[in-house]
Amino acid sequence: MSTGRHNRATTAGRLSVLVGALSVPAFVGVWELIARSRIVNAVLFPPPSTVAVAVLDWIHSGQFFGDLSASLFRVTVGFLIGTAGGIMLGVLTGRFRLVSSLLSPLFHILRPIPPIAFVPIVILWFGLSEAGKLFLVVWGVFFTVWLATHIGVQKVDRGLVRAALMLGTPRRQMLSEIILLGALPYIVVGLRTAVSISFYTLVAAELAGAFAGIVYRIEIAQQNMQTGQVMGGLAALGLLSFVADRSFAAIAERAVWWR
Amino acid sequence: MVAMMYNPLRPTPPLRLVDAAPEPSSTAPEAIIRVEDLSIVFDVPRGEVIAVDRVSLAVMPGEFVSLVGPSGCGKSTLLNAMAGLERPFEGEVMVAGKPMLSPRPDIGMVFQQPHLFPWKSVRRNIAHGPRALGKSKTEALRIADDLIDMIGLTKFANAYPHTLSGGMQQRVAIARALANQPRVLLMDEPFGALDAQTRAVMQDNLLELRDRINATIVFVTHDIDEAILLSDRVLIMSAGPGRILRDLSVGLPRPRSSAILTDPAYLALKRDCLDLIRTEGRKAFEQMEAVT
Repeated sequence: MSTGRHNRATTAGRLSVLVGALSVPAFVGVWELIARSRIVNAVLFPPPSTVAVAVLDWIHSGQFFGDLSASLFRVTVGFLIGTAGGIMLGVLTGRFRLVSSLLSPLFHILRPIPPIAFVPIVILWFGLSEAGKLFLVVWGVFFTVWLATHIGVQKVDRGLVRAALMLGTPRRQMLSEIILLGALPYIVVGLRTAVSISFYTLVAAELAGAFAGIVYRIEIAQQNMQTGQVMGGLAALGLLSFVADRSFAAIAERAVWWR
Repeated sequence: MVAMMYNPLRPTPPLRLVDAAPEPSSTAPEAIIRVEDLSIVFDVPRGEVIAVDRVSLAVMPGEFVSLVGPSGCGKSTLLNAMAGLERPFEGEVMVAGKPMLSPRPDIGMVFQQPHLFPWKSVRRNIAHGPRALGKSKTEALRIADDLIDMIGLTKFANAYPHTLSGGMQQRVAIARALANQPRVLLMDEPFGALDAQTRAVMQDNLLELRDRINATIVFVTHDIDEAILLSDRVLIMSAGPGRILRDLSVGLPRPRSSAILTDPAYLALKRDCLDLIRTEGRKAFEQMEAVT
């Protein structure tokens, strides 16, 4: 009886794995069929085969790796700067009331403004330079990480702090070890959100005007009516942020190593 | 004030149920902990609460003193003041001749919860104090390993706290507090969160441990049995505002074990304590009723 139920369960499990593996190919297949059936305009809605050709061309022309590295550079450097600033100030505002009174009201007003809204002023300030793109990514990442750290620091078990105090822990070690590691589970959640935010802001930054980058390539292709290239760019962006999110999740799991 | 240290060369003194002689404050220079007219007041939304009300007491070096009283009587606050975690509103707390205004590494503390650093192994938790005080890593780990052997957790030296049971975690917390070789060990209901069986084992462990370390211990509990079993002296506190109601010497011979729990002298002492606490508990309850 129980074996039967067990078998049924594994059968259901296998079936769902199979369906899961077929999900994307089936979607691509249906898309190909519809695009080729002439129900839709093939120029605006090219079949996946056309998209694949466009992507191969992109790679062969040598532009792909230039675009990829330009985008990756903006996302990575922007993420690192925003994260460093966010964690540092989050520890300070979370731990010191005076610093919090000084900065938190300001941050809470600035934080909800969507980073994309800063594009016009960023162009005025930085022109089309790389600094402007980094600014946007840093801006988006910073507030998310700051808030997560701020909350995390405030939620650090007071008992841990007291225990550390009783053991003679010096002030610096208190901040850099007890407070920071105590808040780490919260910080890691903030960092993961910040990964996807860095991709949102990357899009805004590159649409605002750039000379290379995946989103820049999408925009150029759109102006040339190369719909296949547009979709190829979207697929590349999707894949990139998917990989970034997944690898970050894997890192995050190990970051809080004591769990 | 007479120090109630057990002296193996002298015959055990007869059990005394009388109150210890009242404290002639300012004469007993040898006391390691001296609390004088201490009051601690907390700000609450509806005004102020007096947690500790003009308490004076002295603890002699090597003594084991318990603070007992109904919950909310300020016994933990009093202990925190001895730890330097709570500032006096009035009066003074002196430990080893110096006023307590902030925590000091010569005073160790064990809390009701173990509060181990979850990111550190047992070894490194215990080594934390010596490291913080500037000892070399090798030296700190050596101290830790000795203590781990002492608490019988050798097999778990590299385990992380969350993999240990509550009793084991609390043993690590005690070892961690001892790693700085404190002159005074403060314990705030350290076994309060443990089940009855583990608690009994921990009490026996503490009695053994006490013979091997050279620290004065102040122990907060609401468990009368625990207080009498472990202590040289039991201070019974009144319901809030906290005051010391009675200072009882426990004249039971050492080494002790849970066997004394059925000793008639022990039972008499316990009855005495319980009567006091029950009266106080009722008062506290009526006070709370009156407020609400």
